Amino acid sequence: MILELQDIYKSFGEKQVLRGISFKAEGGKAFGLLGRNGAGKTTTLRIIMNVFGAAGGQVLFDSEQIDYNKVHFGYLPEERGLYPKKKISEQLIYFAMLKGMTRKDAIRAIDYWLERLGMTEYRDKRLDTLSKGNQQKIQLITALAHDPEIVILDEPFSGLDPVNALLLKDVVKETIAKGKIVLFSSHQMNYIEEFCDSIAILNSGKIAIAGELTEIKHSYPRNRLVVKSRQNAEIARAYAASCTQAENGELIITLEDAKSKQNEMQKLSGSYDIDEIRVFEPTLNDIFVEYAGQTDAQR
Amino acid sequence: MKQFKRILVFELGNYLKNKVFVGVTVFLAVVIAAVMFFPRIKAAVSSNEPRQSADKPIMLVAAENMSDADMQNAFASVFGEYEVKYTDEGIDSIKNQITGGAAECAFVLHGNGAYTYYVNNLSMYDTNTETAEALLSGIRQVVEMTRAGLTAEDAQSILSIRVGGETVNLGKDQMQNFFYTYIMIFALYMVILLYGQMVATNVATEKSSRAMELLITSARPASMMFGKVIASCIAGLTQLAVVFGSALVFYNLNSKYWGDNPIIRSIFDMPTDLFAYMLLFFVLGFLIYAFMFGAVGSTASKLEDINTSVMPITLLFIGGFLVVMLSMTSGNVDTALMKVCSYIPFTSPMAMFTRLAMSTVKWYETAVSVAILICSVVVIGIAAAKIYRVGVLMYGTTPRIGNVIKAVFGSKK
Repeated sequence: MILELQDIYKSFGEKQVLRGISFKAEGGKAFGLLGRNGAGKTTTLRIIMNVFGAAGGQVLFDSEQIDYNKVHFGYLPEERGLYPKKKISEQLIYFAMLKGMTRKDAIRAIDYWLERLGMTEYRDKRLDTLSKGNQQKIQLITALAHDPEIVILDEPFSGLDPVNALLLKDVVKETIAKGKIVLFSSHQMNYIEEFCDSIAILNSGKIAIAGELTEIKHSYPRNRLVVKSRQNAEIARAYAASCTQAENGELIITLEDAKSKQNEMQKLSGSYDIDEIRVFEPTLNDIFVEYAGQTDAQR
Repeated sequence: MKQFKRILVFELGNYLKNKVFVGVTVFLAVVIAAVMFFPRIKAAVSSNEPRQSADKPIMLVAAENMSDADMQNAFASVFGEYEVKYTDEGIDSIKNQITGGAAECAFVLHGNGAYTYYVNNLSMYDTNTETAEALLSGIRQVVEMTRAGLTAEDAQSILSIRVGGETVNLGKDQMQNFFYTYIMIFALYMVILLYGQMVATNVATEKSSRAMELLITSARPASMMFGKVIASCIAGLTQLAVVFGSALVFYNLNSKYWGDNPIIRSIFDMPTDLFAYMLLFFVLGFLIYAFMFGAVGSTASKLEDINTSVMPITLLFIGGFLVVMLSMTSGNVDTALMKVCSYIPFTSPMAMFTRLAMSTVKWYETAVSVAILICSVVVIGIAAAKIYRVGVLMYGTTPRIGNVIKAVFGSKK
C-alpha cells in the first residue's frame, strides 16, 4: 500500500495554504508530517481524507486515483472531542457504523479495543465522567476499530501519562506491523524519531524537506565529531578554533575535511581519556529547527 | 444512503431518549387529557353539589315607572345567570354596592326606554346591554301598540313574527375551519421555532465539543445535514402526533360531555384532504426552516452565538406568521399580500394552508405553490449541506455571510 500526494495546492480565499505538496507514505511504515503551527499540516490531512478537495494536484493510492469508497481512514484529530453526554459504547458503535461496519462487527471490534486499552469497565459510562487521558484512549478506538488501511494520528501522545504513552506506542507498533499506513503529525520529535522511517517537513505550505529519515541525517556533512571526555578543557584548548560545546557538555569538533575524521578520531583517543567518540548526526529536532524555522526569505 | 440512515437513527434516538423531550411530550398529553376530561369532571362535581342561587352574581335593577314585580320578572327571565334584585336605592348607593363587590352590575331605567348600565369592569364579552335593550324595546313596543288600540296579545303575536332562510355555502365555511387552521398554524410556529433552534444547537454543540472533527471525516456533510434535519422532523411530528392523538382519544372518551360545542367539533371534523395538505405543508415548512437553522448552527463557534445567529431566520418566520394570523382574524385570507406569501417558500406553508382551509384556491395555484416549495427545500437542503461542510471547520469568530458564501463556492475550484 502506498499513499502518494502529488503537487497539492489549496487556498482559502486569498490565502494560499498549500503550494505544491508531494510526498509518499508506505504501508508497514510510519510517516511523520511535521511543521510549525499554521504550516498546513491539518489542511494536508483533510485533503487526504477528502474533507475538502484540493485546488490542484492529486491523491493517489497504489498509483491510482484514491477511491474513498474503498480506502478507509482512521483519524485521531488533534482537537479531541466526542459526545460528552453519551454512553461510551453507544458512540463508539455509532462511529464504527458510520465508517461502514455492521452493528455486530462494530460491537465485536469495540469490545476488543476496550479490552486492549484496559477500558472495559468504562463501556457503559458517559464520556464526560472519564479523565482526559482515558477520553483520549476512547477517541483512539474511533480511529482503529474499523480496521482502516490508513491511520492518521495528530499529536497522539499529548496528554498521556508515561504508562498510557507506552500502551499507545505498543498499539502504534502493532498497527505498523499489520502493514497499515500510519501518518503521524506531532511536535514531539522524540516520538516521530522513534516510529517514523520517513518524514516531510512543511514550511509555509511547501515541503521544506522530505524522505527517509536516515538518508536525511546522512545527507548532512559528516565532518563533525562528538567527543565525550573528562579532559574537555584540554581538548577544547587544543581544537580552539573548531570546537564548540553542546548543552549536554559534549564537545563538537568541526573538521575541515570529512575524510580526515578517521585519523582525527584515532588521534583523539590516543591522546586523551575519551569516554565516547562518534561522528555527529543531527537529531530530528535539529533538522526540524533548520527546515521549519526559516521563512522563505531566509532560505 | 446507509450512512444517512445510520445518522438518522442515531439522531432520532437522541431525541427519543432525551428525558426533556419525553417529559414535555408526556406533560402535553396529560394537559390535553385534563382539558378533555374537564366537562366530565365538572359535570360530576356539579351534580353532587347543586349550584346555589347565592353563587350567582347579583344584578341590581332600579326603575322609575314600572311596577316592581313586572320589571323584576322580566329581567330575571332574560338574565338567568344573574340573581336579579329590584332596588329603589339612590344612584350613589348602587355605585357603592358595585364597586364594593356586593353586586356585579346594575340597570337604572329612566323611562322611555332610556337606561344606564353600571358595571365595575366591562368585560370584552359583556352582552348585557344588548339583552337589556332587546327586552326593553320589546316591552316598549307592546306598551306603544296597546296604546294605539291593539290588545296586548295581538301586540305580542305581531312581535313574535319571524322570517326564516338558509345559507348555501359554495366555498369554505371560515367559521368552521378557523379553529383548526389556527391550531395548525400555531403548532407549525411552535414546532419550527423549537426544533429549528434544537437543530442549530445540536450542530453547534458537535462543533464546539469537537466531535465534528471526527464526524466530518467519517460521514458526508449532506448525509449529516439531511440525517439531522429529517430526524428532528420525525421527532417533531411524533410529538405532535402524540399530542393530537391523545386529544382525539380523550375527546372520543368524553364526547358526550362536550355536547354540541361547535368549536371542539369543528376541530375534530377536519376533512381528509385538508389533513393531507396540513401534513404536506407541515413537513415541507419544517424542512426548509430546519435546513436554514442547521446551516446557521454550523457557522457558530460557540453555543452563545446561536441566539443571535438565528435571529434573521426567526424574524423572517415570525413576519410570515404575523401576516397569516392577521389576515385570518380579519376574515379575508385572499388579500394581495396573502396571495404573494402563498408562493414564497418561507411563508407558503402557512399562507397557502390558511387559504386552502379558509378560502377557495384553484388547483393549479396549489400545485405551483407546492412545486416552488419542494424545489426550494431541495435547493436550500443542498446549500445548507454545503454551508455546513465549510462552516463546521471555521473556528474563531462567527464568520460573515459573505465569507461563508465565498468559501462554499470557492471550495469547488
